[in-house]
Amino acid sequence: MNKTVYPKLDETIYRSQLPCGLTVAVVPKPGFTRKLAYFVTDFGSIHTDFLLDGQEYHVPAGVAHYLEHKLFELPGRDVSAEFAALGANVNAFTGYDMTAYYFSCTENFDKSLELLLEFVSTPYFPEESVVREQGIIDQEIGMFLDSPEARVFDRLMEAMYRRHPIRVPILGSSESIREITPEILTLCHRGFYAPGNMILCVVGDVDSEFVVQTAVKILGTDPRPVAEKLRNWQEEMNCPEPITHQQMEVAMPTFQLGFKCEAIPSGEAAIRAEVVGDLAAEALFGESSALYLQMYETGLIDASFGGGLETVDGCAMITCGGDSPEPDKVRDAILAGVKTLLETGVDQESFLRMKRSALGRRIRDLDSFDSTCFRVCAYHFAHFDYFCFPTVYAEVTWEEVHEFLTQVVTEERCALSVITPM
Amino acid sequence: MIETTELLPGVTLRCYTDSRFKQGCLSFQLVRPMRAEEAALNALLPAVLLRGCRQHPDMRAITARLDELYGASVGALVRRVGDYQTTGVHCGFMEDRFALEGDAIFAPMMDLLRQLLTEPILEGEGFNREFVESEKKNLIATIEAERNDKRAYAAAQLMKLMCKSDSFGIPRLGEKEQVAAITPEGLYTHYQKILHSSVVELFYVGSFHAAQVSERIRPLLAGLQRNPEKLPAQTPFHACPANENEEEMDIAQAKLCMGFVTPVNNQSPDFAAMQVLNMIFGGGMTSKLFMNVREKLSLCYSIGSGYHGSKGILTVSAGIDTEQYDKVRQEIFAQLDACCQGDITADELLSAKEGILSSLRGVTDSPGAIENYCITSTLSGLPLSIPEYMTAVAAVTAEQVAAVAKTLQLHTTFFLKGVGK
Repeated sequence: MNKTVYPKLDETIYRSQLPCGLTVAVVPKPGFTRKLAYFVTDFGSIHTDFLLDGQEYHVPAGVAHYLEHKLFELPGRDVSAEFAALGANVNAFTGYDMTAYYFSCTENFDKSLELLLEFVSTPYFPEESVVREQGIIDQEIGMFLDSPEARVFDRLMEAMYRRHPIRVPILGSSESIREITPEILTLCHRGFYAPGNMILCVVGDVDSEFVVQTAVKILGTDPRPVAEKLRNWQEEMNCPEPITHQQMEVAMPTFQLGFKCEAIPSGEAAIRAEVVGDLAAEALFGESSALYLQMYETGLIDASFGGGLETVDGCAMITCGGDSPEPDKVRDAILAGVKTLLETGVDQESFLRMKRSALGRRIRDLDSFDSTCFRVCAYHFAHFDYFCFPTVYAEVTWEEVHEFLTQVVTEERCALSVITPM
Repeated sequence: MIETTELLPGVTLRCYTDSRFKQGCLSFQLVRPMRAEEAALNALLPAVLLRGCRQHPDMRAITARLDELYGASVGALVRRVGDYQTTGVHCGFMEDRFALEGDAIFAPMMDLLRQLLTEPILEGEGFNREFVESEKKNLIATIEAERNDKRAYAAAQLMKLMCKSDSFGIPRLGEKEQVAAITPEGLYTHYQKILHSSVVELFYVGSFHAAQVSERIRPLLAGLQRNPEKLPAQTPFHACPANENEEEMDIAQAKLCMGFVTPVNNQSPDFAAMQVLNMIFGGGMTSKLFMNVREKLSLCYSIGSGYHGSKGILTVSAGIDTEQYDKVRQEIFAQLDACCQGDITADELLSAKEGILSSLRGVTDSPGAIENYCITSTLSGLPLSIPEYMTAVAAVTAEQVAAVAKTLQLHTTFFLKGVGK
């Protein structure tokens, strides 16, 4: 395996690409008890259109999430129970552009790792169990429909995007999940769970060579074809619906405000664009900004307010939100605030302080196994070595942030989603 | 591993020195008996203190200072631990060794904490009026926003109903009417009183040794004239008559919450067996409730149980279709009955024990988890260290699990019923 040491961060990473195409990354954490393993595919809810073996496929919304649920079954075996018997906690999540399966344990790492690789790489979708899952996922959809936090974001995506599938909720709908069959699940598994489309990342006090050997043992050495995603998502930069409202059982109006950005490129440009976007959000409405203080002191926002840059395959946006008695005034204050900020600018010292703060928070975050594992995987799919972030912070300039804000934070690119009390 | 120092009468510093982490943390907590008349005052206090101090007169100035300290953080910390309510702040900061050459973070961070706690901005005999009024609004909004999360809302309603005669029935953040009635003068007087008379707990996790931490903390305590009052001991559950209630809401998924009582609490010899029972019954993805009510019968998406060891209360909560109320309730009883009958497989017992042991082993891997575990177990009077606790869990038998299951009695049910959609 290739070993890279990052002295500024006191971290090391071992990387390797196996003959079957799988990328393996191990972040050793000597002296820690817990071990965390993520097995992730570069496939999420938005990837419903693809080419496989020369044929074009269009699958129903919610299929990535449905597949995540159903993979937890092996013929005649209960995967969750087997992990539990090993004292390991297993779970999974489906995002817009990735699906992750993970376990954490303090003992029995070897067996748990084998089990993780085995169950995720084994498609087993008996008809009656696929049908039964509809009831469970339907309940989950119902739970999200009752969650103001989820609703306000889903509606913002609908208001901001015309074509990009981020406008469809990750879970799909009660209707779309009824179209999902064992054949469709098998197809998606074949296309996107090929090792070449996946990464295995382990954080903890483990032997990196052992991780590689286990992966070879379970996944073999033969590469398999990976489906080609069809991304017919070109978007204009204005939003189809500048404002959207819904009534729900909430105590106070809650909102999400979004500004459309150009999709983030890949490679080093990706993290650079992300850092610029993050700093732009921080400079505009972060807790050390003049605007935040003004909005907080006038009661327009409260401690629930927060935001930043969101990036998903094929789209990116600045969002912010929280509870507010008058969400439209928050939007107006931000649009006015950006003008002031761009005119007055930020002095060198304040900009350095902002960068130092963002850098420090990222370093602190490395104590979290979960966050480290997640970021190593996410940046791998964006073709960037996450642990290089200190260099990016050192290089980014205020001019880049200025240009980003000028382009993005405008009325034309803005949409507001509001949930109001009944 | 933990070095304990009494800095002043009733002021204890506990240091967990460990250099594995990239960040350290320090919590400062005033420990109060949970009382209806002061719960709201204690909940509001840290939010007001974090609005400004003499040298950093507003939130922007405080944040700018925290930014200089490499994105350090300081937040309000209000906990319920058994019959106690704690009020204070929690600081998180990058370890000095990752800072640029010559920069220190911990020492200036402790100085900022001193300023926030001891040099608030005053107006006449009280705190700054604007700070108090706007934080009152925020706290009321937070209390009202409990309704937004239906699961948390239903669970809180169950507790209020079930614990009318117990401190557990007092909401952690107080009632909104009490928040509304707070004055800047009243809050400041209360702060002065509790600062001088309460038990104070400081907990540090990071690379510094106890002596170094004490030295950094002492200036913070310099002005205190301590006259500590003893905390009343933790008490078991004070039962009120049994109860059943429901409420209607325009929601897609109804929430069923059931509260059971048991004489087994964290002081009992059977405490570990009850923890194991909770895991087998409803403690995760392999529990009886999850495997049967969700996986086998598809009756719900979420279902689980939780055990409040300081009181001997076990709650079950499930997100269900309103029409399935009877079926789900019946099935919950059927699963509990299976536990009572000792219908527990070797795998179930093993998984439940491994689950608890694994999370206990993992406690020492994160500064936040260390602080949280150590301080809550100390204050709640759990008489076991982590190794002792693990030994007790490992020794639990299926018979002991069945025996503690039999002690559970349904006390209260709350149903948040879906109408409309």
